[in-house]
Amino acid sequence: MGNEAIARGAIEAGICFASAYPGTPSTEIVEALADVAGKVGIHVEWSTNEKVAFEAAYASAIAGVKSLTAMKHVGVNVAADILMSSAYSGVNAGFVLVSADDPGQHSSQNEQDNRWYGLLAHIPVVEPSSPLDAYKLIKEAFKLSEKYMHPVIFRSTTRISHTRQSIELELDPFVERKCVGEFERNIERWVLVPAHGRKQKQRMMSIWRQIREEEGSPPFITVINPGMKKAIVASGIAYAYVDEVLDTINKKNEYTVVKVNLSVPLPLKPIKEVIEEAEKLVVVEELDPVVEMQIRSLAQEHGIAVRVHGKDLVPVNGELSLEIVYEVLARFEGREIAKPWKSIGRIKTNPEVPPRPPVMCAGCPHRSTFYILKVSANKAGLKNPIFTGDIGCYTLGYQKPFETQMTSFEMGGGVGIAYGLSKVVKEPVIGIVGDSTFYHACIPQSINIIYNMGKALVVVLDNYYTAMTGHQPHPGSGMLATGEKAPRIPAERILEAIGFKTYVINPMNIEESIEKVTNAYIEFKKGKPVAIVSRLKCALQVLRYARRSGIVLPAYGIEENKCTACMACINLLACPAIVVPSSSKKPEILEDICVGCGLCAYVCPFDAIVLKREGSPGWIKAWL
Amino acid sequence: MKRYNIFIVGVGGQGLLTLGRIFGNAAIEAGHNVTVAEVHGLAQRGGTLNVQVRIGPGEAPTIPHGATDLFIALEALEAIRYSSYIGEHTRVVVNKFIWPPPLSKYPDLEQISLKLREKGVKPYFVDANEISRKASGTVISANIAILGFSYAVDEGLRNLLEYRHLEKSLQKVFSGKVFEINKVIRRLGYEEGRKAREKTD
Repeated sequence: MGNEAIARGAIEAGICFASAYPGTPSTEIVEALADVAGKVGIHVEWSTNEKVAFEAAYASAIAGVKSLTAMKHVGVNVAADILMSSAYSGVNAGFVLVSADDPGQHSSQNEQDNRWYGLLAHIPVVEPSSPLDAYKLIKEAFKLSEKYMHPVIFRSTTRISHTRQSIELELDPFVERKCVGEFERNIERWVLVPAHGRKQKQRMMSIWRQIREEEGSPPFITVINPGMKKAIVASGIAYAYVDEVLDTINKKNEYTVVKVNLSVPLPLKPIKEVIEEAEKLVVVEELDPVVEMQIRSLAQEHGIAVRVHGKDLVPVNGELSLEIVYEVLARFEGREIAKPWKSIGRIKTNPEVPPRPPVMCAGCPHRSTFYILKVSANKAGLKNPIFTGDIGCYTLGYQKPFETQMTSFEMGGGVGIAYGLSKVVKEPVIGIVGDSTFYHACIPQSINIIYNMGKALVVVLDNYYTAMTGHQPHPGSGMLATGEKAPRIPAERILEAIGFKTYVINPMNIEESIEKVTNAYIEFKKGKPVAIVSRLKCALQVLRYARRSGIVLPAYGIEENKCTACMACINLLACPAIVVPSSSKKPEILEDICVGCGLCAYVCPFDAIVLKREGSPGWIKAWL
Repeated sequence: MKRYNIFIVGVGGQGLLTLGRIFGNAAIEAGHNVTVAEVHGLAQRGGTLNVQVRIGPGEAPTIPHGATDLFIALEALEAIRYSSYIGEHTRVVVNKFIWPPPLSKYPDLEQISLKLREKGVKPYFVDANEISRKASGTVISANIAILGFSYAVDEGLRNLLEYRHLEKSLQKVFSGKVFEINKVIRRLGYEEGRKAREKTD
């Protein structure tokens, strides 16, 4: 996998420190490093958030210990402040930030192009074209960083990070690892007061110019078949598509192709040579015209009259594909090129195939909590509550029948937006966030609620893990990235310390939880600061644990004679284990999918849902 | 050499990523270049999912519409959702299993089969869940059953990979008892596939 290739390359490059906050598609980099941390003898951690991760790795690098930090594209926004400063002060050992972007938004709130951060911060951006490239180029990125003692951004994308490829390991000896650092007492360099910052900027700009002048050779810029009248500049993964399309139509000899793996700052020399020779050129890159803009500026600066195409032909949205690159070439040539692929087309059925958005899993504790939060609101007379939300599996609560996530912008907004709304709207506001999200970015917002006397209730959904990205541990898990034991910092203790009266519930105990939450709501209505922590393990982890340790979880079934097909179970819970077969009008429970949480049995008004499979003794412990 | 494209579709949780990895490792065992494009994150949570395996030289990770050589659907509705990836010469294998999203109306297996045939496709249907359940008591290894079945019905795959490459690959992904059970399930799937192939020959 591309992410594993990055991890392997980083170890070969001699890192001794890696920190990250999980986020798709970046997660497996530090996961892979954590797996071998003990064996290789390096420090690997899940930090509380991306800013913390960046600071930790940067500190390591200023002390002379090579380091890596990794995050998803939007995570870099969280770390942007220190990112900007790091370019001013530089480093004393190789330091690489891996930014895993998500063109096409497979699993993100936006598809921002983080190569802009390079231009903004004056940090070079290395962009691989494949997982194999990622393995090789991460090592080059560290060399580049050490050559200029400057941070480097390594920009991957979903299709690099999450693509597996056969990779033959290079036989270079591993770079010697230095794990003990020394702090250079250099106040002018590390204290960015204005007077120091102005000086540091001059240093930074001279490095920037030097990289543009000097780094124009392979592996950063590779000019293939030079001297042609038509040129294609392909940045990062775009090269993989361009290469395969040219190969398929057998036209490699007609074009000069520039493979760009250092897209920011775009090295001047090789690009100038190509555009001087070419009459026309097309820049193929995913998302924004970062390379195209630099080429246009270069051509203009040097009075070169090449016709530059780019985003007039290449979409600015989403991922590239072979088909898109095919069409780009056809339009670049101004003629049809017959495609070698022929699809049977979309098939229409009646009824049509229904959409299948991701859903909360069978037994997901969030489902129970959402149900409890809504039922209790009725009991407590809490009218028209506004539920703000955040980033995690629980964001799926935006769907019917719950609609208990009415906003989701970024990490932390669940509480921050709740606070702001509570100051200006009449309805009660309930901010619902996940456990990992709470530690990540909701603590300052929770403090702000108390300090500025906001009227928002905070709910933390604690399922023990950063579940959505694959169950990484966090400060509430009692475990480190490497699996070792760690101190646990329960969310309720933080909330209590800030000043919230905090109620802890187990959402599998439905009746008891409804009573507790109703009481919490009543206190909240009186104007008291209240928080709720709902704690139960992620059902996927419970299932995995049960399978491994031979524990049988209970399962429920529907007694046909008692079921009136009222559909309460389906309409209230939307559990993927409950289906209505096309041959029947009544719901059925898929025994293979049911994990026995029992919520449907609780909501059934006719007691038609009963235990069908007994769990092994002590099965409940798997959830706690 | 033209790249050999395997497009795998299904529902998050059905073991698509594992199946993609098994093909990937088997291709490496057989000495081929290979890319396997996965999707992670939210898409796992019971949502629609695809994994794209491309065997042969080249690095573009995704398959163009119509360029699929072998199309495997672990869930039958997903076969229709992604049907535009099927081409005139694509081998199509569909699990006899419909997992409808909650509260939805959907076409049945008969209609799915009919619609594919109308487009000139000759789909193979296999009850991979049943094969898995028979051998292991759960449906969790339906992905391995369909792997064995597909290998039996698809000549293109057999030309690229030998049975032992698949076995080596299984061994890399599973171990101990789970490996032994999956070996049996793959064999059962293969036998079903061989029978299905003979019927059409």
